[in-house]
Amino acid sequence: MGGRWENDDTHADAGGDASGDAVLLRAVAAGDASALAELYDRHAGWLHARLTRRCADPEVVREVLQDTFVTVWRSAAGHRGQQAGGWLWTIAARRLVDARRVQERAARVETLPAPAAVAPSAEDRVLTALEYGDVGTALDRISPELREVLRATVVDGLSTREAARLLGIPEGTVKSRALRARAELRAALTQLNPSPTGGPA
Amino acid sequence: MTTPWHASEDLTLRYADGSLPEADAWSLEKHLETCTACATRVSTAVRNTPAGLVLDEVRDLILTATATRPKGARGSDMCGSAAWARPAPTGRHLTTHLKPTLWSLGPALRGTWLLALLTVVVGALLLNRAAGYEATRTLLLTLAPVIPVAGVALSYGPHADPLHEITAATPSGGLRLALTRTAAVLGLSLPALTLTGAALPASGAPGAAAWLLPALALTLGSLTLASYVGCRTATAVTGGGWLAAVLVPAFAAHGGSLTARLAGRLAVCFDGAQPGWAAAAAVCAVLLAVRRDAYDHLENR
Repeated sequence: MGGRWENDDTHADAGGDASGDAVLLRAVAAGDASALAELYDRHAGWLHARLTRRCADPEVVREVLQDTFVTVWRSAAGHRGQQAGGWLWTIAARRLVDARRVQERAARVETLPAPAAVAPSAEDRVLTALEYGDVGTALDRISPELREVLRATVVDGLSTREAARLLGIPEGTVKSRALRARAELRAALTQLNPSPTGGPA
Repeated sequence: MTTPWHASEDLTLRYADGSLPEADAWSLEKHLETCTACATRVSTAVRNTPAGLVLDEVRDLILTATATRPKGARGSDMCGSAAWARPAPTGRHLTTHLKPTLWSLGPALRGTWLLALLTVVVGALLLNRAAGYEATRTLLLTLAPVIPVAGVALSYGPHADPLHEITAATPSGGLRLALTRTAAVLGLSLPALTLTGAALPASGAPGAAAWLLPALALTLGSLTLASYVGCRTATAVTGGGWLAAVLVPAFAAHGGSLTARLAGRLAVCFDGAQPGWAAAAAVCAVLLAVRRDAYDHLENR
């Protein structure tokens, strides 16, 4: 995969853009609708693509996207200097979980846990290893159910509970699948590359 | 996790069209969370796919929503960093805006009310044409003003709309939605019932259009009253009040057939009182404008 990622000088303005996001969010918090439009143009596209990979119903994706930016409009004051992209995804992922919950006519408002600090070591290893090609091969070897759980918990940063709602499976199943996914991934990685980065977790 | 890497053109395009394998997609997604430059390029690429259409539509909806509900209306969302992190009330969803037009016109138009309207129209025509009942217009005019009121009752409020809590919390919820739905109810029932009335022989009853102003006044009265006591009670009071005002004196009076007495009673309520009905409608409209904020809290009643 190495060749797909470029260390390109033309992107040296990335830092300026990131601070641009912070400026935009402050303007949105102050009620500037054109700042919201600019923020939308920067981020709505990839949020839409990412949501589409996680939800097959285009109507739900559309609602979640709209809902996300309405929430941004109302709550931009709550932004505390995190990366704008990550902050937006947190909102979108929660809205997606909520949408699933409404869809399934499950119980009413129930307090969601605070953003879970995802258990670091094994996941961090996966994320670090994602930068190397062999993880792709390893991921292809584990079952789609396990991959789904990994994606929800590791990549999307959802808590066990939120992942359970998103995937429509019990929390216990999320936990056991996450464990199995990690074990299988570790095994697959070891098989592919006898000395993986960082050694066994 | 800031990296000096950026997504290549190929990676960007394949992510945008959804053909990128999972592992590569995960890497890119994590990167996009922290790199606005790549995020912007991916977003641009997605806009060039069929999804661009959806993106434009949602953009318009959001900007319209921000225009109708400016920041001043945010209320409790100002309470700080926890504001965005707390679970969203289900009411945040803008579900109804995205449903097909008929759906958005409200519960009344897709439920029993439409059936009731059809029954009255078809029933009146059949009663006259097939059964040869001469005084059908009198009965129709007695019933007609209640029908839009019933439509209002079935259009707005927690008892009428399973999505009420959701719609009520949207920027265009509240009175605006109630009025939109009432307009749909009126737009259908006024012409339907007036034309039906015109197709029936007069035989002593008032004109076929005589009920329009009273119906409008009763509808506006229902909406105004609903801001105090809720939709269901309000429409029961106005609709029931009308029927009582027409039927009770007609039954209590002596001389002539019941339909003749009813026609006489209708003539009193309609013909002489049109300016009165117009004034009542105007007063209710003003009161409704004053009471518009109450519609945001109807579910408490």
